[in-house]
Amino acid sequence: MSAVWSVSRAAVRRRRLQTIVIGVVVALSTTMIVVALGLLAASSAPFDQAYARQSGAHLVASYDRNKVSDEQLTNAAKAAAAVAGPFGTKTLDFGNGLSVVAVGRADAGGPVDRLNVWKGRWPDKPGEIVLNRNPVSAGGRGDIAVGSKLSEPGGPTLIVVGLAYSVSESAGAWVTPAQMAAFKPTSTQMLYRFAQAATGEQITSGQAAVTAGLPSGSLLGAQSYLTLRAAAVGEPNTFVPFLMVFGWLGLIVAVLIVANVVSGAVVAGFRHIGVLKALGFTPTQVLSVYLAMTSIPAIVGCALGTVAGNVLAESLLTRAFENYGAGGVGVPAWVDVAAMLGVPLLVALSAFLPALRARGLSAAQAISAGSAPRAGRGLQAQRWLSGTRLPRSVSLGLGLPFARPARTALTLAAVVLGVTSVTLAVGLGKSLTTYQTAASRAGAVDVTFSAGTAEAGPGPVPEGADAPPAAKLSDPADEALMRSTAGAQYVTPSADLPMRLGGTSQDLRVAFYRGDPTHVGFRVLEGKWFDGPGQVVVSERFLRQRGLSVGDTITLQTGGKSTPVRIVGKALYNSGDEVLSNWETLALIAPNTRAQTYEVQLKPGTDIDAYVKAVQAGDSGLVETPGQDAGTFVAIVLATVVLLTLMLGTVAALGVFNTVVLNTRERRRDLGMLKSIGMTPAQVMVMVVTSMAALGAIGGLLGIPLGIIAHRLVIPAMANGAQVEIPAFMLDVYPLPLLAIFVLAGILIAALGAFIPARSAARTTIAEVLHNE
Amino acid sequence: MTNGQAVVQLSNVRKEYGESVALDGVSLEIHAGEAVAVMGPSGSGKSTLLSMVAGLDRPTSGSVVVHGEDLGKLDEKGLALYRRRRIGMIFQFFNLLDDLSALDNVALAAQLTGTSASPARKRALELFEELGIADRRNIYPAQLSGGERQRVAVARALMNRPAVLLADEPTGALDTRAGEQVMDLLLDLNQIGQTLLLVTHDQQLATRCASRLVEVVDGQIAGERTLERTA
Repeated sequence: MSAVWSVSRAAVRRRRLQTIVIGVVVALSTTMIVVALGLLAASSAPFDQAYARQSGAHLVASYDRNKVSDEQLTNAAKAAAAVAGPFGTKTLDFGNGLSVVAVGRADAGGPVDRLNVWKGRWPDKPGEIVLNRNPVSAGGRGDIAVGSKLSEPGGPTLIVVGLAYSVSESAGAWVTPAQMAAFKPTSTQMLYRFAQAATGEQITSGQAAVTAGLPSGSLLGAQSYLTLRAAAVGEPNTFVPFLMVFGWLGLIVAVLIVANVVSGAVVAGFRHIGVLKALGFTPTQVLSVYLAMTSIPAIVGCALGTVAGNVLAESLLTRAFENYGAGGVGVPAWVDVAAMLGVPLLVALSAFLPALRARGLSAAQAISAGSAPRAGRGLQAQRWLSGTRLPRSVSLGLGLPFARPARTALTLAAVVLGVTSVTLAVGLGKSLTTYQTAASRAGAVDVTFSAGTAEAGPGPVPEGADAPPAAKLSDPADEALMRSTAGAQYVTPSADLPMRLGGTSQDLRVAFYRGDPTHVGFRVLEGKWFDGPGQVVVSERFLRQRGLSVGDTITLQTGGKSTPVRIVGKALYNSGDEVLSNWETLALIAPNTRAQTYEVQLKPGTDIDAYVKAVQAGDSGLVETPGQDAGTFVAIVLATVVLLTLMLGTVAALGVFNTVVLNTRERRRDLGMLKSIGMTPAQVMVMVVTSMAALGAIGGLLGIPLGIIAHRLVIPAMANGAQVEIPAFMLDVYPLPLLAIFVLAGILIAALGAFIPARSAARTTIAEVLHNE
Repeated sequence: MTNGQAVVQLSNVRKEYGESVALDGVSLEIHAGEAVAVMGPSGSGKSTLLSMVAGLDRPTSGSVVVHGEDLGKLDEKGLALYRRRRIGMIFQFFNLLDDLSALDNVALAAQLTGTSASPARKRALELFEELGIADRRNIYPAQLSGGERQRVAVARALMNRPAVLLADEPTGALDTRAGEQVMDLLLDLNQIGQTLLLVTHDQQLATRCASRLVEVVDGQIAGERTLERTA
């Protein structure tokens, strides 16, 4: 074993505390960095892999059969790199909410959209149908099994012979071309792959090429794969911004702590360095000892952090991409390699400068010094403090940071970053909660009644004892009942219809509100509320996923009927497949539909239970339904933020802890002397904790603006990743009293970090210290 | 100069550090106004004895009573208050705080008892004048000579008018001239009634400042004799 290695190992053993601190801090930081980079790098990989496996369509287009022939489409499609179709298409409505876009296709293979028939077989004769079902999420309640029979009113009976999966979402079901011909298709589907399809512009350009020369108005609608991709990566992309910020904050704190530890070791170990040199260690060997001393725990911490990061990232990615059969999605190897090389290198670099000092010391100078001289620093501050009316233990404590300004600066930086993290985390939490509250319309809707006729999902509706309760009174009578029951402020009836976005197989849920929609708590972010027939309001996510904007017109389809509607506004809610509209528009699509849901806002002070009972006494078929979902995703993000804040707070406190350990070791003699002249253990503790609490207060003041800036950057980035819009008021989440609490957070971080070494200092055995000169 | 009243009483004190025995059945009385020198070879236990009287360490068995207070019955805070009020200590290596001026080092001892800064500095300045270092009051320890530092340390030890002044090799780190000055100072203090317990290797210091010599060998008192002070 080399002398350097042997001395380094001894140094690691001798500085067990610092070694553990470095290891823990590096492990925590590496975990965050690996998770963030892993999500960033792998966020679209499961989707892309699934898409590549199936040669997914870059563009799914639907054409009007009355305006364009199959031959024209085939000729125009020569501009694409690969093409499938033309396929006849028709929407089949089997009742009970089961409506699918069926495509007539001879087989599951082909150059584009190679389907995964994961159960049963492909239909080979009329009367058979294969449904599009994800193998991961299929099999829930009410789902349709192979062998089931489906039929449209008055139409032929179709036997479900298999289940297949299309990542391209090109159809809801497939039948043979002969069966489709018998159905008399209403449109023609073409599936394209383009040579260049990485950006929206390239897709648009590809679409222009394959539709060039086709009759005007023949294209009914088209769906870019980028829309599907954006929806798929939304969740992991939301995590990336704040994980990256927390990861970097953690790494910076780790660097500060390592620099502090090594400089502390050099300062306190002058004699040790002198002895090493006197023994014959070369300056470079001394440098190596000090680098190795921190590299050993850093490498161990980095390895543990990488493993933990992989486990966490895999869990998040698997959750996000389970629909793509992406169980066990992992962090790319390059992220692990980068972390395993980069983090220890960064640690070594931060140790390098203080280690250089050890390298440059002359042996005689080092041995005679024992430890680095301290005279001359912070004397004015101490002098001034000694004249104040503060208790002496407090004034001595306040003066301590001035003795080692560089160490104080490093510790202060760690506290600043800790407070920055806390500020950012609290801001994130408040913004997300505010968003969730606004999106869930909490406060606007106190009670929601269901008339029991809402869509029960695909499949047969249970009958007899299992049948869901249904309203006994008519729609107007129920509304009148709710309005007349004491306590009602506003009653807003609505009807939900499953529909489809024209030209695509994307299912939508459209909520048609009767009366004033402003009473149900949606906040309009752009445009206006609908005020006439043929108008809808949608979410930011809806617009982004489809490349639409307010003012555009879309087509809503149901039961073979298409209704063009104009997007007149954008409202604050999460769903990307939910559309809001009004009763006048419903009249165009499905007149005589009754309201299924009644959202009631009560007057302040009204007893909700009493109101519900009174209404149900009038119509026992009305069922109170639970309010909006509290938001599992937001809960996960909040939990992650809290966890990371605790981790970074701990890391910052460990930075303080390390400094206090260094300070108290270096000042053992002073502490012994102070105790010898009558300083009590409690006063020693007060002195040591005060020395750090002052830094905590300053760190709080400096960290708050940094945290607010980080919040201003991270929230919009998260919103962008989640494809939602955050109104400006959701960024203003720092009232003055909260800022005061953040200053306290700095003090708390510092005081907690200082507590254990301060207690240890208070228990120092004086006799031993004072006689060991 | 003694008045016959025992200020320090050690009864059958034993101190063990692991398996090694630093003091073994030591009994000793020091009377008010007495100056006692403890001598012995390195590792004999003389500094441990001083630590026991100073309340810096606790005996494994036996009792230490100083000015009527049984140190074994005091908790850590009680010991701190005891050190604050009853004793003053002088160390071989001065143990001054580098960050404080000479005057503030001395005033610190009074401030710990709750005295505010201004009267504490006033009292410290009186001591500086008595010890002849008033002109050095605003200098920091690193800029003082060894003798000056030890005078500052003495001033600090006297700040709270201790019942016993304990000195551990007070001239050990000083040159001959500075050592002489410190010896004179200690002698003067004893002559005005200050009880003194010295631990030293220095025969000259012992014979010049002490009225009684206690010899410690292997943790036990090997002998005691009265000294005729030399001029």
